[in-house]
Amino acid sequence: MTTTRFLRVLLLCPLLLIMQISWAQNTTISGKVTDDKGAPVAGASVLVKGTKTGTSTDATGNFTISVPPSAQSLTVSYVGFGAQDVSISGKTSVTVTLTTSNQNLNEVVVIGYGGVRKKDLTGAVSVVGAKDFNQGGISAPDQLVQSKVAGVLVTVNSGEPGAGTTIQIRGSSSLRASNNPLYVIDGVPLDGRNAEPQATITGFGTTPASNPLLFINPNDIASISILKDASAAAIYGARGANGVIEITTKKATASGGMKIDAGVSYGTYAGYMKKFGVLSSSQFVNALTKYNVPNADSPFINGGHSTDALNAITNSTVTQAYNLAISGGNENGRYRASFYASDPQGFIKNTGLDKYVGTFSGTTYGLNKKLTIDFNLVEGNVGHTFTAIGNTVGSQGDAITAALQWNPTFSFYNPDGTYNQPTTGTGNPLALIGAVNDRAVTNTVLANISGSYKILPNLEYKLLYSINNSAGSRNTNYDGWLSGYSGISGLGLGVIQNAKLNSQTFTHTLTYNANITKKLHLTALGGYEYWTSQYSANAFGATGFNTNLTQQTIVPVLYTSMLQDGNTQFLPFTYLDPKIEIQSFFARAILNWDDKYLLTATLRDDGSSKFGANNKYGTFPSVAGRWTVSNENFMKNSKVFSTLAIRASYGITGNQEYPAGSAEEQFAFSAYNTFGQVNVYNPNLQWEQTTSTDFGFDYGLMKGRIYGSFDYYDKNTTDLLYQSQAIQPAPATSTWQNLNATLSNKGFEFSIGANLVQSSNFSWDIGFNIANNKNLLTNYTGALIQTGQVNGQGVSGAFAEAIANNEPLDAFYLKPFQGFDNNGNQIVDSAGKGPVFAGDPNPHTLYGVSTTLRYKKLSLLINGGGAGGFLIYNNTATSVTDISGISKGVNIGTSAYNSIEEPSSAVEASTRFLESGNYFKLRNVRLQYIFGDVAKVVKNLSVYVSGSNLFVITKFTGFDPEVSIDKSNGGYPSQSIEYAPYPTGRSIAVGLNFSL
Amino acid sequence: MKLYKKIRIASVALILFAAAITGCTKLNETLGSNLNSTQTANAVGAAGVQLLLNAAYVDLGTPFTAQDHVFSLEENSTDESLVPTRGPDWDDNGVWRVIHNHTWTAAHSQVQSVFESLNKLNFDATNVLDFKPSAAQAAQAYFLRDLSLYFLLDMYGQFPIRNPGDNLLLAPKVLSGDSATQFIITELTAAIPNLPTSGGPSIATQNAGNTLLMKLYLNRGMFANRTSPTFADADMQQVITLGNAIINSGQYSYMANYFDNFNATNSGSTESIFAYANTSGVSANNSGPDAFWMMTEHYNQEAAYVPNAGWNGFSTTSDFYNSFGAVTPLTGVTNFPNVSAINNPDTAVDSRLGGRYYNGATNISGQRPGFQIGQQYDVNGVALMDRKGNALAFDPTIASNMIETGSNLEVTGIRVPKYVPDFTKGTTYYEGPSGNWVQIFRYPDVVLMVAEAKMREAAPDNAGALALVNALRTARGAQPMPSIALVDASNVDDPGTMLAERGRELYWEEMRRTDLLRFGVFNVIWQYKPTDAPMYDIYPIPTADLSANPNLKQNTGY
Repeated sequence: MTTTRFLRVLLLCPLLLIMQISWAQNTTISGKVTDDKGAPVAGASVLVKGTKTGTSTDATGNFTISVPPSAQSLTVSYVGFGAQDVSISGKTSVTVTLTTSNQNLNEVVVIGYGGVRKKDLTGAVSVVGAKDFNQGGISAPDQLVQSKVAGVLVTVNSGEPGAGTTIQIRGSSSLRASNNPLYVIDGVPLDGRNAEPQATITGFGTTPASNPLLFINPNDIASISILKDASAAAIYGARGANGVIEITTKKATASGGMKIDAGVSYGTYAGYMKKFGVLSSSQFVNALTKYNVPNADSPFINGGHSTDALNAITNSTVTQAYNLAISGGNENGRYRASFYASDPQGFIKNTGLDKYVGTFSGTTYGLNKKLTIDFNLVEGNVGHTFTAIGNTVGSQGDAITAALQWNPTFSFYNPDGTYNQPTTGTGNPLALIGAVNDRAVTNTVLANISGSYKILPNLEYKLLYSINNSAGSRNTNYDGWLSGYSGISGLGLGVIQNAKLNSQTFTHTLTYNANITKKLHLTALGGYEYWTSQYSANAFGATGFNTNLTQQTIVPVLYTSMLQDGNTQFLPFTYLDPKIEIQSFFARAILNWDDKYLLTATLRDDGSSKFGANNKYGTFPSVAGRWTVSNENFMKNSKVFSTLAIRASYGITGNQEYPAGSAEEQFAFSAYNTFGQVNVYNPNLQWEQTTSTDFGFDYGLMKGRIYGSFDYYDKNTTDLLYQSQAIQPAPATSTWQNLNATLSNKGFEFSIGANLVQSSNFSWDIGFNIANNKNLLTNYTGALIQTGQVNGQGVSGAFAEAIANNEPLDAFYLKPFQGFDNNGNQIVDSAGKGPVFAGDPNPHTLYGVSTTLRYKKLSLLINGGGAGGFLIYNNTATSVTDISGISKGVNIGTSAYNSIEEPSSAVEASTRFLESGNYFKLRNVRLQYIFGDVAKVVKNLSVYVSGSNLFVITKFTGFDPEVSIDKSNGGYPSQSIEYAPYPTGRSIAVGLNFSL
Repeated sequence: MKLYKKIRIASVALILFAAAITGCTKLNETLGSNLNSTQTANAVGAAGVQLLLNAAYVDLGTPFTAQDHVFSLEENSTDESLVPTRGPDWDDNGVWRVIHNHTWTAAHSQVQSVFESLNKLNFDATNVLDFKPSAAQAAQAYFLRDLSLYFLLDMYGQFPIRNPGDNLLLAPKVLSGDSATQFIITELTAAIPNLPTSGGPSIATQNAGNTLLMKLYLNRGMFANRTSPTFADADMQQVITLGNAIINSGQYSYMANYFDNFNATNSGSTESIFAYANTSGVSANNSGPDAFWMMTEHYNQEAAYVPNAGWNGFSTTSDFYNSFGAVTPLTGVTNFPNVSAINNPDTAVDSRLGGRYYNGATNISGQRPGFQIGQQYDVNGVALMDRKGNALAFDPTIASNMIETGSNLEVTGIRVPKYVPDFTKGTTYYEGPSGNWVQIFRYPDVVLMVAEAKMREAAPDNAGALALVNALRTARGAQPMPSIALVDASNVDDPGTMLAERGRELYWEEMRRTDLLRFGVFNVIWQYKPTDAPMYDIYPIPTADLSANPNLKQNTGY
């Protein structure tokens, strides 16, 4: 309760302060900012020197700024250019020409608990600014940097709007399923979980998990920093081992009045990016003849129609997004408020993600400007509409498998307009979509307030408090008229689930920033942080309803609105996770000698309530050095290198992403008067530890026109957290343990950028990055762990992957496929020797390419990327589109049809369904025209058309080679398995942006 | 003044900072929904021990009601059951076929899940003893633990055992061989006097305890030497004494209709000594044993009321069917298209074969429990079709390699819905769970064990054994046998044997493998099992569990 009051007071204060902003007699300066070729620079920052008052240039490079009488000069800066000071004394207009410098070393990079000047950076940190973000069809921030940063794999798990992402920074360094990096938004570390309940309905599998960052408005993000090595991430200690993604949101820069930025866009889908090949109706009829299907003339086998289920389930309605940001301020304070509303329909009917986000942030000063108070408030309301598309469905109960298997000679509807629900096969995909009403609404508040006080000119104290509260509810309804589903048909099913996630952070930091001598600069940081988080959930439901049991008598009242009508009430279920508490002490010192030699040392001491009693605290050190060779006298006049710096770092980071309570003895109540032990006391349980070494260099050639970096890294993860086989007799089949084994990731990263052409009318920039990673598990002496569930009829209990010594994580482990016998039956493992290791699901190579072409006011932005050196297991081809379907009168895949296999062939998981995963994907293309200021009020008007997921080049026969369906087994992750995923649609959008 | 203010603010900031650091939390973890052991001892108290005991009872559900647990290891590994690969269905990477073939390995998923589900029962039962149970509660906990140990010993030849309060991170000791049998016998014998004497088959009564004790004495010679078991006279006398006490208690009698022991209202069965309770439509921690009929029925049987009621998998061998005797031709006992034919013309035929009109199932869905051969009919007597439009007529012939590829692959194999589908809701949709209680110990088993022990005692009493067997056969509508042998080593399905009589009475009740081992014929060749080796007399210790506990020793040959 006290924290709420505290929060209320702190939130009110800045509002009052802003209202007290005094309006002095300011003068107005206007100006234009161009690059060295005379081209206008849009979005450049213009600040009154020595203050935080400022504005930014519009699309034509123009700005106006209201400055106090005391102001002498302006500081103009933009990413990629050197900052410039211009005198304004006695002037009302100025022209500023910025010189290109991709090595703008004074630029501040966010690296955790504050920023450092880029020239002070010793670790491997990649920063992507807003202008370089991916465009179009973005539902979560991590998609903004897909393929943008070398060595960072961002896989959107499926084509569903709001789908979760699998992020691996420098390879996979965990055996566990939750392997994502730590997200930090404006200095607030997030929990990483999501309050949106997941639904598991018997017979329909588990719906995929959603992205936990959906509550963020992508338009509010100013930059994303990715901390890749231990030098950078060690400041996050026990939570830093999988890397850290720091998101910085936009702050007001305007002065002299209110600025309004607005944007609107309309989008739709233009078909599949890539369609899974199944037979058309004419091919299907041919197949009936080819395979001599008995009773081929019966209406159960040949319905005489021609339908395309994969097309029928897709959606092409127009969706819209609106974005509005208001900002303003003066030397006494600044504010920014933004609003975002969008209703993206999913590519598949009756799915979608609607999103309403409001933010309010600001800064105000007090106590002779020694006190700075910053506040940020984000409120996001995300509605997520699902249909029956699950990860692990068996033989039926999934709209995608139903569409793939739909007999193309059947009509979707009966003559009376009701759904045709044949008893063969997996059901009518449109009926499935129509019978499912499944919607989750998640409300997330992320609020933080911080006060910084300059105790001495060089010493600043900062207190940050933040609260992140997320509440999700989900109402799942399966109508009883759906026929052929045990537990649904004739009964109906309604389930209501609620979940809550509440995290709080208190951070105290002291920063010291001073020149010790003329040449030695010290930046020092010390701090204490307390972070706590708790998750709770409940669920209840019923079956056996009296309504919507036949298609003729459907009423628009959901079961979840009247659960009391259900004959059978499910047992209610409530769950409260143990509260997670982490307290940490941390310190960092950066020494800079003459901008030539730099040394960074970091230490974090983390204590976590999750750790066992014997290991409550862990220490995470790192050290890094940098030699800026180009600042040495002998290099100063180099004609080749404008910049050259060599970096090296070493450090230890930790990971503690396992369920709270895993170290404790636990007894649980379950239904109907039973109570039993569920977990074993383990006082030794601790974090997982990653030791990493990084060598790299940064380079700039031709006065910075060509720039980039190279890194080699070697990461070794030990004390791997995993669900070890319990020692029987045991309360559960597994317990969390620290495994004595090493998971190593070694590789290199290379990036290069170039300003190929730079003139006032035409410019052409290009960027390319590539990374190579090799993943290997060694010193593992335990039994092979099977993972990667293969699902579908005939493959129950089969697995595609295994965790084993001297193999990459989740290596494919399948029975060998040996062709077909004379009867067209597949021969699998004829020697009966069992599965063999058959390849790597971890991409060895990741690459990304982007280019921007500008001709006068027209610009074209193209982003693409891909991965190579890995295999995908096509579970869809194994058990959904397999040949046997034809004899049951369900559709089969074209690849099955084109093989010599006969319908009598058994369904088996084998190496036959491993396919090369290599791909290149054109992620997005955006063509923009900048009108500039079109009237006195409308400024900076631009229009664009953009396309996302336009095409993919791959030999993979499934929907999308960028796929990560969660087929984990007992908490062990799976990778690169396709199973009837939510397909990826090609999306097109048009939009316009303007300012007022 | 200015300097003073500066210092004041700096001090406040530093104090705040210091206060935050010194005021830090101890990071003790408190559980949200669950309790730790101290809280457990305080919160559940004496009466609450019953909750812990209930959890152990509920642990019986997984191993004994799922088709891929004890059922698969005890039945699919024998002549009584097999799961052919039906085109695309039921291959599941060969897991079912290798069980029937006797070619399984230590990595087999069912071998692992049975080991673990039985040990969960072992664990939860042991845990009860750590919370000051009453004498009766402790005795039930011992019984449940001993039941799990008996099955572990039978299947794996060894078991891990912990004392209450042991450190669970340390590997427990492992018992094997005759000392393992003796351990269970000693513990159970001590517990039996404290078991309740009444309370129905869902709780461990003294009769349940004595039945388990009979099984231990009867199988002791087999556990000691699986390749050629010998039976000590003292053990056989124990079986006879314990069995006679149960028979003479008068608490049990044969049911008039054999299948009433297996229907959804079988909680009142007078043959039930120990059973796992279920309630129709109530998911009391388990889903009921509907897998027992779904695993065998064809997809299109009862489709009208129970969607996907059939998974079209499990079948029996024709040789086993023939062990019922020559009076039962392979075309099936009775195939009445006429649903009103309540009275069977062939009352002389062994009623345990089923295939007859059964009130509560046939009049609702056309289903006839028991062995199903030939054409099947719906409730109106209309012949059913398979999914390809062929007649749904079960064909006893299964492909020799158990891989069905022909156009009749959906209908091969004799089906055995021994448990009667739950139609307690009549013709409305089946919601599950089913209310059938799972029979773990049944009175006829006790009778047959006594009869068998009489044949195995030092001075065999074959006449006494035959009298018990024929009394049972008469109750089942079968002709009395003129004589009886223990086993025919050349034909496990020879109808004139005690082994065959056990099969006829107790088929698909999760004990055939143990019987074949005790009768010394588990390794002989039978239908769809072309070769065998003595190593398969014991299942391997699952690879994962073997690496978790170094005290476990892998069984010979694996």
